[in-house]
Amino acid sequence: MTQELNVWLDKILGDIENVKIERKRSNRLRVDVDARALPAVLELLQGRASYVHLSAISCVDRIDDDEFELVYHVWSYEARSLVSAHTRIPRDPGVYLSIYDLYVPAAFFERDIHEMFGVYFEGSPDMGKFILTEWDGPPPMRKDFDSEKFVNETFNREQYHPQWLKDLEKEGGGITTPAEDARK
Amino acid sequence: MSKNKTLTKKDQMQQDKAQDGQQMLVDFTRPRTNPMANVFDGLVRFCQSRSMFMLHYCTGCGAIELPPAMTSRFDMERLGIQPMVTPRQADILLITGYVSVKTLKRIILTYEQMAAPKYVIGICSCTVNGGMYWQSYATAKVLREYLPVDIYIAGCMPRPEAIIEGLQVLMDDIKTGRAENWKRYFQNYDYYLGNQQKLFGDHWQTPTDIISEARHYDLITENTLGKHTALLEKHQAPLQALEMTLQQNRERV
Repeated sequence: MTQELNVWLDKILGDIENVKIERKRSNRLRVDVDARALPAVLELLQGRASYVHLSAISCVDRIDDDEFELVYHVWSYEARSLVSAHTRIPRDPGVYLSIYDLYVPAAFFERDIHEMFGVYFEGSPDMGKFILTEWDGPPPMRKDFDSEKFVNETFNREQYHPQWLKDLEKEGGGITTPAEDARK
Repeated sequence: MSKNKTLTKKDQMQQDKAQDGQQMLVDFTRPRTNPMANVFDGLVRFCQSRSMFMLHYCTGCGAIELPPAMTSRFDMERLGIQPMVTPRQADILLITGYVSVKTLKRIILTYEQMAAPKYVIGICSCTVNGGMYWQSYATAKVLREYLPVDIYIAGCMPRPEAIIEGLQVLMDDIKTGRAENWKRYFQNYDYYLGNQQKLFGDHWQTPTDIISEARHYDLITENTLGKHTALLEKHQAPLQALEMTLQQNRERV
């Protein structure tokens, strides 16, 4: 039965315009949708195809394309399969629709994304501060936020390089790759 | 301890007397004339070092090394060290792992509630200099800028043997009277408060009145008061007791 449902899902989604589907495995499906069509696709998945569980919403900062990529992971207990719906929204102004009316747990993820990336979700019940209550800088997970520069400006450094570590390094141990080289 | 309980009242009396130009209520600085005093001091210090209650503020991954250190495998209690549930009854504050800016606030509140003498132990590299979170925007890097730390146990993470050894060093320090870092918080309060204000903003205020406590312990130096404490005094609201109400105002569940 589960296989049947998945095949049926492929057909239905394939009929919609502007939807690219890619089946990764028998229980993983990647769907690329236009931002305008995403709520409709999710409604279809939830209402008609038993994808009732919203696992997560993730956000990727595609700074080179000047876009945010939002990924909605929905899971079906009946088909035992996960659908990841990818969509892109412009980085500026970074506003998108909330899917709180479809999936209630979305409020949690949307608030988190708003805090970390600054994406505003219209219709979400609360866009207030969430985890970073002491933070009033720019959203820290954006690619244009330079964490290292911020740390250098805000905090003092303390060197910890005791004799035993120097002895270890002489024998070839210790931290062999400095941070500058590790980044290359 | 009763010290903390009677603090406000005693402080009030002390301030009144100081204003009158009379002698302070308790004079800690007077020289010890009794030859037996040193004997008693040694005995008290020995007892202190053998019966310590530990409050572990498990902020990071280092906390995972504490259960084996406390329970039967390494058995911290044979050294007289036991976990304690409240800061007011604890002697040691154990900070195990990275300290985010948000947790640092809570650590300072906890530390200030503890009764003196109090000792702070920073476990893991993260408390020394941020460790592997050295470029994280949310982690406070050097713990000793915000609190006087007695012992650092570096490592990522230190094994229970290292923790026990660090605690033994602290015990020796207490026995010989060297572990007096808690006094530094009162003596250099302006420095610590300045660093705290830099992170939390100028409106930062804790419920504990450190300046009055410093006056109580007679630990006021020229570094206790400064421009940062002046900033604090500008907006420092006096503490008020919480209003006691019966069940009436509460919503029925």
